[in-house]
Amino acid sequence: MASDTFAERHRLPLLSRIVVATLIALVVAVPLLGGPLAGSAAGLSPYMANIIGQIATFALLALALDLVWGYGGILSLGHGLFFAAGGYLIAMHMLKAGYVFGGVTPDLMTFMGWSELPVHWAFFESFPYALLMIVLVPGLLAFLYGYVSFRSRVSGVYFAIITQALTYVAMLMMFRNDTGFGGNNGMTGFTTLLGQDIGGHAMVVGLASASVLALLVAFIGCSALLRSPFGKLLVAIRDDEARLRFLGYDTLWPKLAAWCLSGILAAIAGALYVPQVGIINPRLLSPELSIEIAVWVALGGRGALSGAVIGAAIISALKFWLTGFVPEAWPFILALVVLVVVTLLPNGLLDLKPQVLWRGRRSGKRGMIE
Amino acid sequence: MARRRVDFGHLLVSFILLCAASLPALAQDRGTIIAEICSGDFGAQQSALGQLAAAGMSEDSSDATWARRIVEAFEGRELRCGNGVALITTEDGAVQAASMEPSDVDAETLAPPSVNLRLRATAASAAAILRLFIEEDAANRLSAANYIDRRREAATAPILSAALERENDAEVRAVLSTLRASLLLEDPDPANRIAAVEAIAQDATLRNRTTIAEAMRDESDADVLAAGDAAIASIDRMLQVGKILSTLYSGASYASVLFLAALGLAIIFGLMGVINLAQGELIMVGAYAAWFTQEAIRTALPALLDYYLIIAIPISFMAAALVGLLMEVIVIRRLYDRPLMTLLATWAISLLLINTVRVTIGSQNLEFHQPYYVSGGFPLVGDFIMTSNRLFAIVVAICACVTVVVLLRRSLFGMNIRAVTQNRAMAGAAGIDTRRTDMMAFSLGSGLAGLAGLALSPLYNVNPGMGTGFIVDSFMVVVLGGVGSLIGAALAAIGIGQINVIVEPIYGAVAAKVFVLLLVIVFIQWRPEGLFAPKGRR
Amino acid sequence: MSAAEVQTASGAQAIQIDGLRVVFGDFVAIPQLSFIARYGEVHGVIGPNGAGKTTMLDVITGKTRPQGGHVRLDNRIDLIGMDEPAIALAGVGRKFQKPSVFEALSVRDNLETALRLKPRSILAEIRHWSDPRRAERVTEVMDEIGLARLADKPAGILAHGQKQWLEIGMLLMQRPKLLMLDEPVAGMTEEETRHTADLVRRLRSPDRAVLVIEHDMAFVEEIADRVTVLHEGTPIFEGRMADARHNAQVRSVYLGR
Repeated sequence: MASDTFAERHRLPLLSRIVVATLIALVVAVPLLGGPLAGSAAGLSPYMANIIGQIATFALLALALDLVWGYGGILSLGHGLFFAAGGYLIAMHMLKAGYVFGGVTPDLMTFMGWSELPVHWAFFESFPYALLMIVLVPGLLAFLYGYVSFRSRVSGVYFAIITQALTYVAMLMMFRNDTGFGGNNGMTGFTTLLGQDIGGHAMVVGLASASVLALLVAFIGCSALLRSPFGKLLVAIRDDEARLRFLGYDTLWPKLAAWCLSGILAAIAGALYVPQVGIINPRLLSPELSIEIAVWVALGGRGALSGAVIGAAIISALKFWLTGFVPEAWPFILALVVLVVVTLLPNGLLDLKPQVLWRGRRSGKRGMIE
Repeated sequence: MARRRVDFGHLLVSFILLCAASLPALAQDRGTIIAEICSGDFGAQQSALGQLAAAGMSEDSSDATWARRIVEAFEGRELRCGNGVALITTEDGAVQAASMEPSDVDAETLAPPSVNLRLRATAASAAAILRLFIEEDAANRLSAANYIDRRREAATAPILSAALERENDAEVRAVLSTLRASLLLEDPDPANRIAAVEAIAQDATLRNRTTIAEAMRDESDADVLAAGDAAIASIDRMLQVGKILSTLYSGASYASVLFLAALGLAIIFGLMGVINLAQGELIMVGAYAAWFTQEAIRTALPALLDYYLIIAIPISFMAAALVGLLMEVIVIRRLYDRPLMTLLATWAISLLLINTVRVTIGSQNLEFHQPYYVSGGFPLVGDFIMTSNRLFAIVVAICACVTVVVLLRRSLFGMNIRAVTQNRAMAGAAGIDTRRTDMMAFSLGSGLAGLAGLALSPLYNVNPGMGTGFIVDSFMVVVLGGVGSLIGAALAAIGIGQINVIVEPIYGAVAAKVFVLLLVIVFIQWRPEGLFAPKGRR
Repeated sequence: MSAAEVQTASGAQAIQIDGLRVVFGDFVAIPQLSFIARYGEVHGVIGPNGAGKTTMLDVITGKTRPQGGHVRLDNRIDLIGMDEPAIALAGVGRKFQKPSVFEALSVRDNLETALRLKPRSILAEIRHWSDPRRAERVTEVMDEIGLARLADKPAGILAHGQKQWLEIGMLLMQRPKLLMLDEPVAGMTEEETRHTADLVRRLRSPDRAVLVIEHDMAFVEEIADRVTVLHEGTPIFEGRMADARHNAQVRSVYLGR
């Protein structure tokens, strides 16, 4: 059975192929069914398109976490920080652009009593600049924290706890009005993005399609990366970092690279998410949300990117569906799902699919490491 | 503008009263007082009013009652004098002023003594002074004291001293002391003023500092000014000490709660490698258990209500321990050796706990009765009051710490825990039932969290989400202190608790959290395993 | 082939340890150790548990910092203060007591990872991953350790002994100057032990020093040219294994406690 996995070294495992196919289908279907074919029987309402778009961003976020957790062995319980960073940055862009080009004064300015936006908002009306910031700022954050922690070999549970604390503290800071990001009201009232009206039908479908596309690209890209020598190094670090160091590799840099990439992907997910929900507030930084991300990944199956995507998709879909009519029950359902998965399905849903043999699961006690 | 009224009447009254201060009884008999008050001589009338006011000091309480009657009659123009007779008119006829016996003299033939503004003021003041001595209800005495503060005509230091001696309500005492202090500071003799300043400075409070500072503004005598400066400096020093102690004390109480919460976490993590994200909810369970105990006692044994906190100690512990036990048996033991999965599982459990409580009991803050032993406090240095509610938390924490240390070092159970923590496989091979040890240890850790909940119920809000506020800090304590180390947890809790209370008033609560976080991050760069690393080769 | 038939190696010094002192808290693991291993020889290090053998390896590879003393490679490179990757790239290879291979990667992947063609930069290494030299060397070593038929299996499914060989193979990829084997036959069957002894003998080379820590006396006798006996962090004997057996102090240390 094990031979399958490696004979197919240059082809994606079955599940991954399914996921890619689905995503390709969606990339085509969403703009079609949401656009020209919207009126038809199979048409996609803006509401549904929006939901699909949001789910896609969550899946991207889960992918980002799985990159470092499933393959690098680095658990972060604070990935919401990067997600929110991307969200805040795109929000800044939309508000600034709306202000500069559209003359719409952000609510933020009104209740803060500002006559102009503070210095760190400079240039944000430019989309390329905003995009650059979305890559640089979270990347830098990730680099700083990663460098400082990996260098002193902080890992495992301690690392995870501190990421929790980081996002918690960021949340507290963002709740304050004087940090200049909207305080507990956050930022809302976005009007346009790239010249298009935010609430418009075209924009909704466009964003949803962009999200699915981003997910597809990230999925294929990361899969390729993980099958490359870099990916092997990452897995080696996960399984036996000491051994790798004794082979002459300074493991700090591959870890840092993966960690920063993960942070940037999460930020991109956030930047796609916020325009689709029309608001960003500090609740996105709550420790609970960051833990939920880990839950998505754990549910789907940590060791495969497709697992993360599937896990995120399933839970988010469930949440949208259920909170529609039994919002009170959602925390209970989520908790129970987690408990069941964690106790009975150690490798997440992938445990239910014996054909897609989870590499190393039954072999050696270090197949899928905690 | 000068606050010192150096007028003859006042001086005279003071003089007389200073002489009279040593006499517990009325300075003169009632008849003479009446004669004076009926005379048209304003000076004598002032004097009479002064003596009437001083009647409050008399050992014979009927003197005070009588005096009050006379003063009120004087104010109300019911006192009528003439022809060597003094009467007080009442609804039922007239009574003799001195003896209060009925009289058949026709009141219409007599006239009330003449008054001027000053006399009226003095009378009102005297009436208030007498109320101070007579009134049973503290609220009434308080309003009398406040009145006297504004109208001091009949007030003197000796009277106020006497009143203070008998007064046991804190608020009234406060007003009276300040009043007496400012009177003393107006004494004509500089030596007396210096003595007054020094006496006041003995009690180093902000209030007294202000009193002295204000008195010094009008002061011209150089010696007195020097004494005033010295007194203020000394008070300032004590206030500073008090402030530091106050901060340390707040920090200690917060640290106590943190310690209790983190201790359980540290034991569980050290033993089983389980990071229990539901620890905050176990704290909540403990607090809610205390509340239930309160309600139960309120219904069944209301007389014991004040002791609910004590009675709840074992109950909070047991409740949380039980919940912990259930957690361990149903979920956590299946996740043996998979710390990250247990992390997710405990998170799910915390979600369950919070929402179950929310749905069944509700999200509102719970009301806790504050028994006497956690109300108020002990004023110590400066303005520092050692509040009893914080003291309660500190005491609980210390007792718990001592108990756990003894348990771990001296009992069989403790030894089992330590053995399993250090080497599970060997402990098992040596015959220790590791499963049972796990269960018991987890229950212990959870019970400690429950105690934390109990200890903080007089201090913080109790609601379903209360645990989340403590969990991050508890983690920081465990990370900083080193896993499974009691001393480490204690030191880390104290450190983090103090930093929080020191930074918070200056930069705010958020800044305090940021600071602590940065500190922990920096610290574990240097010592990645915390203050006290777990021993043994890994 | 017994140790006696091997020409006595008198090659240059590969590793020199001088006055080494290692203390853990209150516990003095190694009070004062001086030690030399030479190129071209297989040097056994034996001693009871806790004698400091693994600690010595830890110091050489940079895992543990000593409190005093020197460790030099080739009499010129001071290893103390260098970090583990740097020491490894300088030519020190270590095989751990517990087999540490990358279980999720294939045997081939394990070996590929172990070859550093571009020791200065991981990025360059990744870019040159498909360099044909890598594949060649991998095949070479796989044959040497006898795992060629398992090339594409995940290392996790290998038997215990096979994992040990794989680990040795990984070390060989880099042609280390100093190859240190920590209990290479622990947990092996007779058959596997023999295979390993063969392997170790073949590892002997004029540009390599092999250090072997072991408990299995028969194995050490088979493979070692010289033997050092450690006791409580101090060498109490150095010479041929046969002589070690007859040394009174060695006997009392092993048997008389």
